[in-house]
Amino acid sequence: MDAIDSVFDPLREFAKDSVRLVKRCHKPDRKEFSKVAVRTAIGFVVMGFVGFFVKLIFIPINNIIVGSG
Amino acid sequence: MGGGFRVLHLVRPFLSFLPEVQTADRKVPFREKVIYTVISLFIFLVCSQLPLYGIHSTTGADPFYWMRVILASNRGTVMELGITPIVTSGLVMQLLAGSKIIEVDNNVREDRALLNGAQKLLGILIAVGEAVAYVLSGMYGSVGQLGVGNAILIIIQLCFAGIIVICLDELLQKGYGLGSGISLFIATNICENIIWKAFSPTTINSGRGAEFEGAVIALFHLLITRTDKVRALREAFYRQNLPNVTNLLATVLIFLIVIYFQGFRVVLPVRSKNARGQQGSYPIKLFYTSNMPIILQSALVSNLYFISQLLHRKYSGNFFVDLLGKWKESEYGGGQSVPVGGIAYYITAPSSLADMAANPFHALFYLVFMLSACALFSKTWIEVSGSSARDVAKQLKEQQMVMPGHRESNLQKELNRYIPTAAAFGGICIGALTVLADFMGAIGSGTGILLAVTIIYQYFETFEKERASELGFFGF
Repeated sequence: MDAIDSVFDPLREFAKDSVRLVKRCHKPDRKEFSKVAVRTAIGFVVMGFVGFFVKLIFIPINNIIVGSG
Repeated sequence: MGGGFRVLHLVRPFLSFLPEVQTADRKVPFREKVIYTVISLFIFLVCSQLPLYGIHSTTGADPFYWMRVILASNRGTVMELGITPIVTSGLVMQLLAGSKIIEVDNNVREDRALLNGAQKLLGILIAVGEAVAYVLSGMYGSVGQLGVGNAILIIIQLCFAGIIVICLDELLQKGYGLGSGISLFIATNICENIIWKAFSPTTINSGRGAEFEGAVIALFHLLITRTDKVRALREAFYRQNLPNVTNLLATVLIFLIVIYFQGFRVVLPVRSKNARGQQGSYPIKLFYTSNMPIILQSALVSNLYFISQLLHRKYSGNFFVDLLGKWKESEYGGGQSVPVGGIAYYITAPSSLADMAANPFHALFYLVFMLSACALFSKTWIEVSGSSARDVAKQLKEQQMVMPGHRESNLQKELNRYIPTAAAFGGICIGALTVLADFMGAIGSGTGILLAVTIIYQYFETFEKERASELGFFGF
């Protein structure tokens, strides 16, 4: 029983600390969340399509290179 | 600094040989930074598409399949090594310096230069080592088939690309660009992967004839060409062996969840002792170590996979080798092997609900492993990377900052109430999100999405600071 307690006590303590931390946290409101979501989505899409088009362009180029090799 | 032998001094003779980017000696305008960043990105992307000259084949099983996402690596191309050399050398140097194996005094200019030189030198050595290992292991066909000339050519190409990546990252780090090259390359690679899986125009032959790889393209194609719209819709949403619309929706959901949690933070008020009453704040984020736990956890798992597959290929049937992992070729081809037994199997995400129900111990083990590993790595990382409560307290003290209502000696104690918990709990949240993403079948893997979102988020924070700084400059 002591062995079990010695395992669970730190976990219980950690859980309590975590709950306190989350409660203390400032959480984003709808406006803040929307703003960040939109910007990150734009960044995501821009980066993604840059890579996408480079890849698209290189498919025929690679076919030529590898074909002649 | 005359006392005693220092390990870093070993690096001094090599400094003159290492390629180096001069530190920006003037304030680089924001627009120029953007241009440098974009150019670096294009160089990286082009290298990611250039095929290696001289390779015989890439049809064998790919032992690095699992780690390509986080290492910005592309099979059969000049960028085969991806950012592995630079990330590995960075981690190694960080660990050595953080654990005091190497003595570094960051206040001494020479020490910083030597540390950077050591890291670069190590990166180049790792690139050479990995290139040789790739060729000798038969990744591109056996050495006998390649011939010595081609083998050497391949090694040179891989090393050259490794050096290019190192220089690009240094260019950005030295103030010419925004953020770090490593983060930029990882994020772009992941975003590209996801967009490609959504919009890819390539076709793949399956049992039902040619199908488009891209989920969105396939959706429209199926709706247009099939007479039975309902079945077409169902297939677009749930097809098994190619990206589908459900995967896409899961990706979006994970994206939104990560962004929401990014906003969680404890804001501690701080005040400057100098400028009269200058008020500020020091935010401690829930994701205190950002994406670091997932990088470390993935690196651990990937290395275990690599070792396990190598051993399995050569010594399958041995008890300990089987204990580590048993592998077999994936049904869907593509050179991918999947673990079917041993430790490697239990630390792999269950592929479906059915799989989970069939082996609940596997699911439970995987979950506990993920959460524990992320929490432990996160907690360890704050000590190693110099962002523990003690380090932050020291930092604030040097900046003459105090916390209102607390004596200076209590600053560390106050920080200690939040930072270790934020690190560990944040790590657990990261792990949980990764598990959730993988389970829902998000494109790009949970690891990838988390990395991409946290990196892009950081980029926008950097962006904001740069712009504020620029405006401040103009307004001055």
